[in-house]
Amino acid sequence: MDVTLKRIGLDGVYVKAEGRLDLDNAVEYGTKIKDFIEDSDETVVNLTLDFSDITFISSFGLKVILELYKQLNAQNGTIKLKNVSEQLMSSFKMVGFNKFLLFE
Amino acid sequence: MFKTVRSKILAIAILILAFLLVASACHVYFARMNTKQLMVQNYKFSITASSFVQEVKNRVITSEDNLKSLALIGSLYYKTDRSNELTNKAITKIFENYPQTLGGGIWFKPYIIDKSKKYTCFYAFRDKNNKIIIDKNFESKQYDYPNQAWYKQIISEVTPENNIVWSKPYYENQGSYTTMITVGSGVFVDGELVGIATVDWELDSVIEEVSKMKPLEKTFSMYKNGNEIKNSFALFGNIIDDYIIATNDPYIDNKAVIGNSLKEIPWYTDADNLYATTYITYHNKKYIPFVNRLNNGMVLIICLPKSEMFKKVNNFYFLLIMVMIGIALLIPALLYYSLNHYIINPIGKLTEIAQKIGKGEDIQIKIEKPEEFAQLASTFDKMTKDLKSITQERAKINSELSIAKSIQFSSLPNIFPPFPDRTEFGIYASMEPAKEVGGDFYDFFFIDKTRFMFLIADVSGKGVPAALFMMTVKTLINNLSQMNYSPKQLIEIVNNKICQTNKHGFFVTVLIGIVDINTGETSIINCGHNPPLIKRQNSDYEYLQLESNIALGVFEDSKFEIYETKLNPGDIIYTYTDGVTEAINKDNVVYGETRLCKCLNNISDTEPLEITQKIRTSIKEYTDSNMQSDDITMLVFKYNGILNNVKTYKQIAQQGNYKQFYNWLHAVCEEWSINEELSYKLDMCAEEIFANITFYAYPENAGMLEATLTKNDDNISIEFKDDGIAYNPLEKPDPDVNLPPEERPLGGLGIYMIKNMADDIFYKRVKKQNILTLVFKI
Repeated sequence: MDVTLKRIGLDGVYVKAEGRLDLDNAVEYGTKIKDFIEDSDETVVNLTLDFSDITFISSFGLKVILELYKQLNAQNGTIKLKNVSEQLMSSFKMVGFNKFLLFE
Repeated sequence: MFKTVRSKILAIAILILAFLLVASACHVYFARMNTKQLMVQNYKFSITASSFVQEVKNRVITSEDNLKSLALIGSLYYKTDRSNELTNKAITKIFENYPQTLGGGIWFKPYIIDKSKKYTCFYAFRDKNNKIIIDKNFESKQYDYPNQAWYKQIISEVTPENNIVWSKPYYENQGSYTTMITVGSGVFVDGELVGIATVDWELDSVIEEVSKMKPLEKTFSMYKNGNEIKNSFALFGNIIDDYIIATNDPYIDNKAVIGNSLKEIPWYTDADNLYATTYITYHNKKYIPFVNRLNNGMVLIICLPKSEMFKKVNNFYFLLIMVMIGIALLIPALLYYSLNHYIINPIGKLTEIAQKIGKGEDIQIKIEKPEEFAQLASTFDKMTKDLKSITQERAKINSELSIAKSIQFSSLPNIFPPFPDRTEFGIYASMEPAKEVGGDFYDFFFIDKTRFMFLIADVSGKGVPAALFMMTVKTLINNLSQMNYSPKQLIEIVNNKICQTNKHGFFVTVLIGIVDINTGETSIINCGHNPPLIKRQNSDYEYLQLESNIALGVFEDSKFEIYETKLNPGDIIYTYTDGVTEAINKDNVVYGETRLCKCLNNISDTEPLEITQKIRTSIKEYTDSNMQSDDITMLVFKYNGILNNVKTYKQIAQQGNYKQFYNWLHAVCEEWSINEELSYKLDMCAEEIFANITFYAYPENAGMLEATLTKNDDNISIEFKDDGIAYNPLEKPDPDVNLPPEERPLGGLGIYMIKNMADDIFYKRVKKQNILTLVFKI
């Protein structure tokens, strides 16, 4: 899975990926983000996930996002999701993630 | 001569009989001989004893003669010149003439010879060297013979008429210290008694002689000649004056009783009365008494121990008994040996061989003797050979039968499902023959691209001939059905062909179904067979009301009615042979059509395999342990119609493989024009279940997953099957989606989402498979 990671601002990271966040890919997606944050010199607290090219998210993808959220939330950080399609949005809503994730 | 067991037994029987006869004869003979011998002995021994008695008598007579001579000398001495010298010579002479005389003398009355001399006597005796000595010592004052008892007795008792007096026995304590008896006679001179003459008799020798008594030669043959008779004893007594002269009775003090009454001898009375005709028992021993009376009132009784008397007889008898016992012991031994050798052993041998033959060993029996067993053995041998050849024949037939069975079975299509890629129909058939090879059969095949034919048939008769006929019919139908005839033409040709080749009067009932699997149009031909049962959608099984034709092989050129119908998807045709409805229970009541119908309607399964198995179970339960009397054959056909709304996909459940799965899923969704929202839901659910199977059903080794997507009028269902460990994801509790994010667990979302998305969801565990079905409304 191709994942593009960019630093934005002092403490932010912008993530853009393409494809499905499912059983086969979700873990890879999460690992790449975590590795990037760890390798950064500065502390990262804000994560922006661009979902414009994400076509599918299953519980495995949701699990990865919850994991990331917990990690950032400990440092008072947030996760912001951009361009989430309605279909994917319904999944977020189904499991109540819309209550703590920010959507743009 | 004694080759047979019978003759041997006879010989032994005769032997036993002979032995018994000899034994009885011997016994009788000896019993008689014993008595007779006893009498003879008595007689003969009385002679023997008499000779001894005679001797005693002679002694008595001799003593008396001797005495008379002495008395004469005494009177001469008195009357004549009274020469001592001459008198001594005369006495010596007399002693020489009577060698048995031990002692004796002449005793004059006191002072009668010489008025100045009190004692005048002449006493002579034999010394140890048989020298005769005149002893003058008795003329002494110390002895004082006139005062001796014998002297007093004799002198007082003698008279000129009765001139011989026997004294009572007495113990001589002056000279010889023995028991003596003295016989005395008066010395009369002119009628005046001037003295007495005496002769002494030492009694010990008499008794001693009795003890040493020997039987005479040839006394009797049974007795040992020349030997002393041991343990005999005697009594010498005077009956008239009743006193004991001498005895050597071993149980009595002999010296003490001498001179006493005879009654002191305990056995005397018996012996005297019985006169030796039988025994006397004395101190637990039997004696034969021999009684002899002497003419002067004396009696001599000799007792001989019976055992001694009969020693020789008894010895011989004992020997004979020993021999008899020996023979008696030998006979059972002989019997035992004979029985063992001639009967038991051959039987044992036969038994042993029979067991070995039973185990299949190839042994020839050889018994030469006795004849009966030789005969039995040869018969046995022949039987074994016959049996072997019969058994081999049987085995051959059996193996041929089992080959026939396997040929017959393999000739029937028996791989199910026969057309696994055909979804338009399902079929299952089974046949259980009553015997090794049956007369029932079934068959099914495509007769062209779309027409499928199935048939079930029952050939008249059973066993190999029926099976052969069945094979002919089956082949015939199979071949002819490929010729593109119409059903009517086909069945008529088949019938004619069968009639032409059927010389043995066989016939066959057949039910044929020909189904166009594309349209469901069906032709059913019933030739004398049980009508089929049909289940239409949403109704029960019922008998198909169709015209029954005549069985095949009965009449040539028969016409056949064809029943035409149309099957709809889901319709089931159940066909059977009469083995099903005519199966009987232990009360001889048949299973019957009603029961069959009822049982079919209780079956919820719609698959031919399950239906067949359940009916089979029902029949088995009904007949219980009753022998199956007829072949039981069933064929179930289910029409599905053309199915294009079911898609199945198989894949190994493994992480990284889901991509292939959703590619298939997406392709199907596209084909079925499923909208994006539903397809997205299917994708999400499928992925979740795929993951579950991968992680939970096959935690160690990856296994197979089968997904079936079915499109129905108002829904889409997807079914997942796996062979993994039992796992029902629906049992997992739902996560609380309202918890603050910090407290939420990472897992548990997938199943929750599936439950949210699917309209219906089922889990079941069937045949070690997890089956999860999700239904989505369209």
